[in-house]
Amino acid sequence: MRSFEHVNAPDIKTAVALLREASAEAIAGGTDLLGELKARVRSPKRLVNLKTLSQLRQISYSQKSGLKIGALVTLAQIEHHPVIRERFSLLAQAASSAATPQLRHLGTVGGNLCQKPRCWYYRNKLFRCWLKGGEKCFAEDGENRYHAILGADRCHAVHPSDLAPALIALDATLRVVGPDLDGEISLEELYTKPTESHRHMTILGPGELITEIRVPTPKEGARGVYLKAMERQSWSFALVSVAAHMSFEGERIVDARLVLGGVAAIPWRAKDSEKILVGQKLSEELAQQAAEAAVAGAQPLRDNAYKVPLTQGLVKQALRAVAGEISVQS
Amino acid sequence: MPKVIKTKTEFEGRTLEEYVVVEGEGLEPWEPHAPLKFVGKGISRIDGPERATGKALYTCDVQLPGMLYGKILRSPHPHAKIKKIDTHRAEKLPGVRAVLSSHNTPKISFRRQTFLFDEIVRYVGDEVACVIADSEEIAQDALELIEVEYEPLPFVLDPEEALQPDAPKVHSWGNLLNGEPEVYERGDLNRGWAEAHVIVEGTFRTQCALHNCMEPHGSVALWEGDTLTVWDSTQHIFGVREGLARLLGLPLHKVRVIKKYMGGGFGSKNNLGKYTVIAALGAKVTGRPVKIILDRHEENLAAGNRPSSVQHLKIGAKHDGTLTALELKALVAAGAYCLWPPSLGGPARELYLCPNVKTAQYTVFTNTGPLSAFRAPGYVEGTFALESLMDELAKKLALDPLELRLKNYAEFDQTTGRPYSTKGLRECYERGAKLFGWPKRPESSGRFRRGFGMASQIWSGNGMPPAYALVKINPDGSATVITGTQDIGTGTKTVLAQIAAEELGFPMEKISVEIGDTQTGLYAPLSAGSMTVASVGPAVRMAAHDARQQLLEVAAQVLEVPRESLTISDGRLKSPALKEPITVQEVLKNLENFMIIGRGAREPNPQDVTVNTFGAQFAEVTVDPETGAVKVERIVALHDSGRVINPLTLSSQVEGGIIQGLGYALYEQRVMDRNTGIVVNGNLEHYKIPTVLDVPEILCDMIDRPDLRANNLGAKGVGEPPIIPTAAAIANAVADALGVRIFELPITRDRVLKALGKE
Amino acid sequence: MATKAARPKRLKVTVRGPGKTQIQLIVNGQAHEVLVEPRRTLLDTLRKDLGLTGAKNACDEGTCGACTVLLDGKPIYACMALAIECDGRSLETIEGLAQAGKLHPIQQAFIEEDALQCGFCTPGQIMAVKALLDSNPKPTLDEVKRALSGNLCRCGAYLKIVKAALRAAELLEKAQGDTYAQSHKD
Repeated sequence: MRSFEHVNAPDIKTAVALLREASAEAIAGGTDLLGELKARVRSPKRLVNLKTLSQLRQISYSQKSGLKIGALVTLAQIEHHPVIRERFSLLAQAASSAATPQLRHLGTVGGNLCQKPRCWYYRNKLFRCWLKGGEKCFAEDGENRYHAILGADRCHAVHPSDLAPALIALDATLRVVGPDLDGEISLEELYTKPTESHRHMTILGPGELITEIRVPTPKEGARGVYLKAMERQSWSFALVSVAAHMSFEGERIVDARLVLGGVAAIPWRAKDSEKILVGQKLSEELAQQAAEAAVAGAQPLRDNAYKVPLTQGLVKQALRAVAGEISVQS
Repeated sequence: MPKVIKTKTEFEGRTLEEYVVVEGEGLEPWEPHAPLKFVGKGISRIDGPERATGKALYTCDVQLPGMLYGKILRSPHPHAKIKKIDTHRAEKLPGVRAVLSSHNTPKISFRRQTFLFDEIVRYVGDEVACVIADSEEIAQDALELIEVEYEPLPFVLDPEEALQPDAPKVHSWGNLLNGEPEVYERGDLNRGWAEAHVIVEGTFRTQCALHNCMEPHGSVALWEGDTLTVWDSTQHIFGVREGLARLLGLPLHKVRVIKKYMGGGFGSKNNLGKYTVIAALGAKVTGRPVKIILDRHEENLAAGNRPSSVQHLKIGAKHDGTLTALELKALVAAGAYCLWPPSLGGPARELYLCPNVKTAQYTVFTNTGPLSAFRAPGYVEGTFALESLMDELAKKLALDPLELRLKNYAEFDQTTGRPYSTKGLRECYERGAKLFGWPKRPESSGRFRRGFGMASQIWSGNGMPPAYALVKINPDGSATVITGTQDIGTGTKTVLAQIAAEELGFPMEKISVEIGDTQTGLYAPLSAGSMTVASVGPAVRMAAHDARQQLLEVAAQVLEVPRESLTISDGRLKSPALKEPITVQEVLKNLENFMIIGRGAREPNPQDVTVNTFGAQFAEVTVDPETGAVKVERIVALHDSGRVINPLTLSSQVEGGIIQGLGYALYEQRVMDRNTGIVVNGNLEHYKIPTVLDVPEILCDMIDRPDLRANNLGAKGVGEPPIIPTAAAIANAVADALGVRIFELPITRDRVLKALGKE
Repeated sequence: MATKAARPKRLKVTVRGPGKTQIQLIVNGQAHEVLVEPRRTLLDTLRKDLGLTGAKNACDEGTCGACTVLLDGKPIYACMALAIECDGRSLETIEGLAQAGKLHPIQQAFIEEDALQCGFCTPGQIMAVKALLDSNPKPTLDEVKRALSGNLCRCGAYLKIVKAALRAAELLEKAQGDTYAQSHKD
């Protein structure tokens, strides 16, 4: 790490003001940021510590207003929270599949949603890649087994979060506070494909902070699952993950949200698959159709074509799991 | 008395002929069923408390007064000429005490292939300069201030490309080690092919694997006058001493190398590293102790690897499975420098009875990180290819894989014509098959596909001289074993204590073991090649025996009883001539500070037999055809390494070898950017080693039959054998599950899905 | 130089660093005043400033678990925390486990089960077990494995580490029973 100054944020307003200044960076759990600082791919002059904002550590729930998770709530808190485990099990599954117990005790939900890609070119000081302000994406004709198969353009990195697909499947919204704003956006809106003029994976600008995540209470009888394919049994970012959340009337699917992780620069809403599912009774053929639709338009690179069948397989397993047919192993 | 003889010794697949001083003869091995008190018992580690309390001092824990830290600047280019190095800005940074580079250090030859700081860099990670500073943070800051002007040179990363005539040259003399392949041949290959009813062949590819010892490589150097003391995380303190003395022009008695605890080596710490020499030079220049510990990324760039291989293998056999011919052409990517190439052809030459065999190994320089030994170098890779193709042959002949192996059981060492001292492989097969349930392998049912596979292991593990030990008996009846070996995590200290206690007739708690110091210790070989116990153990037993003889001599005189009537057990002397047993302490207490010093040396290896280790492993896997996930459900391992000294620490070795083998089979591979030669996964995030959740059920057992020709213990090595067959057994199980074979490691989801035609 | 206080316009905050600033760490029940740069990790502070070298630096980027310590009772990687952000907080390290030369039951179990080889990851493994058993004294096999899934062991002692954790749970339960019996004897 290059040297930096350190400030404890006394309140949200001051935090916003401090983070507006050039070369200031927010630190919450630090599990993502410190990695970048240690790799010296980023070197802010000042870190603004948000952990002092204790009002952002709360989890609350009511049937009416749904689940509210402060941005500083750790992944471990989410994983172990009884209400989340019972009523939002998809979210608890996603949290417990992320990283390791130690990292989950440090890492916060806000930080998890805003984390930078794990792309090995992005994280390596020797490559000045496009996302870091350079000219090219080294993955494009380089080592791209972990990279995007959907919607990639100038950058082929994938969004690494486990919580994001789960929360989008649950239709979560965020409270975002910034120098000139204090409002609510859907989590889906947070993510954006990086563009020439905005080489970031979220729309947040300087000084803009997520303070709270809100999840509406699922409909009665709604079911969800989070499945994650890794290279080993734990402690890996997803090769592909699937968050599925569906509600039923009888056996008929009335609402379906299917979100993929590990396949694109943003958590990827498989809307075509959702359309196929809604109004139908889940069958093996329907699952197959939905799985194929999920990766329609995939443009794999040299080494990541396996993600296409893997995504299909995982989507089918997720749908079966939601339908409660079989227990599954990813 | 020492005498000098010429001897042949096998080490990691090659036979070495050398002069050795022979000592230590005349002590017979314990009888196979001798009632032993400590040897053969599962005694917990005598240094367990230090390791479990955080008190054990590893090299990276050494902190000396005034100590400085060194950080190495490494080449970002795979091949370049250094035109200019400007260190002025770095030197001016507050806290920087020195910057070492080719400008201000002697031109020290390294491996005869490069220099400590060479003007040509040959891989991304090659050493360019080193900052010595008050803290690691300052040293890191200063690295960014060193300005280096490189003239990039053409480079080659792929070993097959490196053999092309127009390939860029890694070294001026060419890209092939020694300018020619290493060829072995017996019989007549053409006749073998002519006699064959079936021929199978395949091209097998194995990945570059990284050791990732938990403790990185590193050294702390301290000068006191003209004496250099180095704490080093090494598998060979005497080798490091010799190297430092030679490269720095110091006499051996002025160089002291210490290694008390070590966080793993697996072969990567067999040799002197540049960082050690740099630390010594940095300490000399600054007049202060200097510590250089590689970080995880450097560890994975510059500290060695199991090299990738391409193996073209062809086997011919008769209808009944009798092998007629076996041919291997292997390509090994040495990286930029190469000290001791692995021997991939070992298994093909040795494992099965076959009259016509040819192996040719091309060890090829590339502009990539240099190889080093990695737990059973060559044999892990070679066994994967051989045992995979044996299964293909069995399939073609409609024979059970185990039956095919038994059909071609080699009763003698075909490379020398000598018999094996002992060979328990048949029992490994039989007992392993029974434990595993090999004959009754169920068919797959349900969504997952099940598969079963097995593979065999052959490896030296014989140990060799020279190795020396002292056993001193203190006036209070305790004893200290002194030798210059190292415990790299295998349990050496404990095993040596057991041997000494057994031979002396003392209780375990009366024994301490001092190792890991060249100044006070006696020479012992590197802790590699599965040879520590079989090399040092016999010397310790001999020393304990010598000490015991002296003790009996003294006791007979003190107690005034016939020497022949005396025995020792539980630290007490017994004799029919004594009313009751008397403690050693009682006997010695009136002799002031009299100290008994027993001396022992490793006896020579037998010349008329081959001493080897053997084993067999059986694996069960399930494969999810939808997602390509492979899960190893269980492994059964049976090994024959002669007498088992400590079944507890031994089973740890076996489990550990299997788990490393599992990682190699399924997850681990160095990924290098093909366009720049930069390793992109030189960390533990993307280079995936097994976690606790990846570990299958493991059942291991030993044949545990003393090899009475091996040495005075009847014990052979077990560090490497268990990793040898694991990947092959898993690959065979996966092939059984899928119905098609994957010829490449690791067996990742992409390869499984591709094999199933899904990609 | 100790704390450097700067007051940017209109904002009432204390800026510390980039030079050294004083912090207090409560390690194994004892308070330590240390001067650290904001960029100093908790791990480096423990190892280099306090000489507590039990927690190991094996990756320095939160990928191995060898530096596991307990922060306010929760297991974390000391390499992924800034020392300055632990100011005033309580830490438990491997050095705090053995009391008056008597091994902690977890340490005892690790030795007896041979749940270590090179021993380099061992302090981290033991602290991960400690965190588990503090919050869940009777874990299932699966809970043990999940609790240890953030601690790599390259020697592959995993099977025995799991056994040791389960055995430690038994030893601790027995020890507590004995303590209870002892306290009710008089």
